[in-house]
Amino acid sequence: MPTTYYLVLSFVLFLIGTAGVLLRRNALIALMGIELQLNGGNLAMLAFSRELGDLKGHVFAFFIIALAAAEAAVGLAILVALFRGRQTVNLDEATLMKR
Amino acid sequence: MNAGGATVVDQVVFWVLAVLTTFFAGFTITRRNPVTAVMSLVATFFCLAGIYASLSAHFLAVIQVLVYAGAIMVLFIFVIMILNREEVAPFSMRPLRLLGVLGGIYLLAKLVDVVAVGLPEAAPGVAPDGFGTVAAIGEVLFRDFLFPFEAISVLLLVAIVGGVVVSRSHQKEVAAVEAADYRHQIQELAHHDYPGEPEAPAEGHH
Repeated sequence: MPTTYYLVLSFVLFLIGTAGVLLRRNALIALMGIELQLNGGNLAMLAFSRELGDLKGHVFAFFIIALAAAEAAVGLAILVALFRGRQTVNLDEATLMKR
Repeated sequence: MNAGGATVVDQVVFWVLAVLTTFFAGFTITRRNPVTAVMSLVATFFCLAGIYASLSAHFLAVIQVLVYAGAIMVLFIFVIMILNREEVAPFSMRPLRLLGVLGGIYLLAKLVDVVAVGLPEAAPGVAPDGFGTVAAIGEVLFRDFLFPFEAISVLLLVAIVGGVVVSRSHQKEVAAVEAADYRHQIQELAHHDYPGEPEAPAEGHH
């Protein structure tokens, strides 16, 4: 399949992830949206890597997956801390630093 | 756009996986129940692993299943079990955000336009032997990217420590501070109000 198809799919994935981050109030679903965004980026990396015949894209995708694991661990820890302190995971209610 | 050069099998595999990926990703962000959302996210990652394999990125496909569908999803499920809250109104729609959605769709259309014009239509030729295998990636990873590789391991260590520190319960420390406070009060009371008595009054005990 041409690289274009893969790129369009990666855009769609990234857009769905962004919509999840911006529109959902549940912090858990927002984190899942971030994972979807990272996967969209990964797909673009791999598509270009095949297009150019260069394995560096694979290495970068590997790094992004490791980064996503670290991000999920810390993000979920912050979520647990937020829930302990405020009894909510609603992002619209976590406004302690707003004013 | 026609899929020049791709066999029928290639096209069928791509379209099935692409439609499934998009469907499950949309399912993920629209579900009210977080467990359903996580399960459809796992399905998304499995379909994506298939797409990676069709890009002859076999090592990355395996890593995707191991790390995403395995490790990260288990983490999500654990946190859902700890929190376990149903939300009342899942979407927060405000006029400004609706404007953002429209802007995002416009941006997507533009990007698709640019990509459709700017790249050659034909599928790139057959990947060379060993492209995307563990041996080939390992060679690049440990020759050209040795320092970033080590830096990533430090990042993972920091993430472990940070996760433990942030999510740790502070109840013991709070209890210790409160106990010290009470002890101080008792001593004060014993000293000032009841100079003759060694014991503090009953309200000082907790």
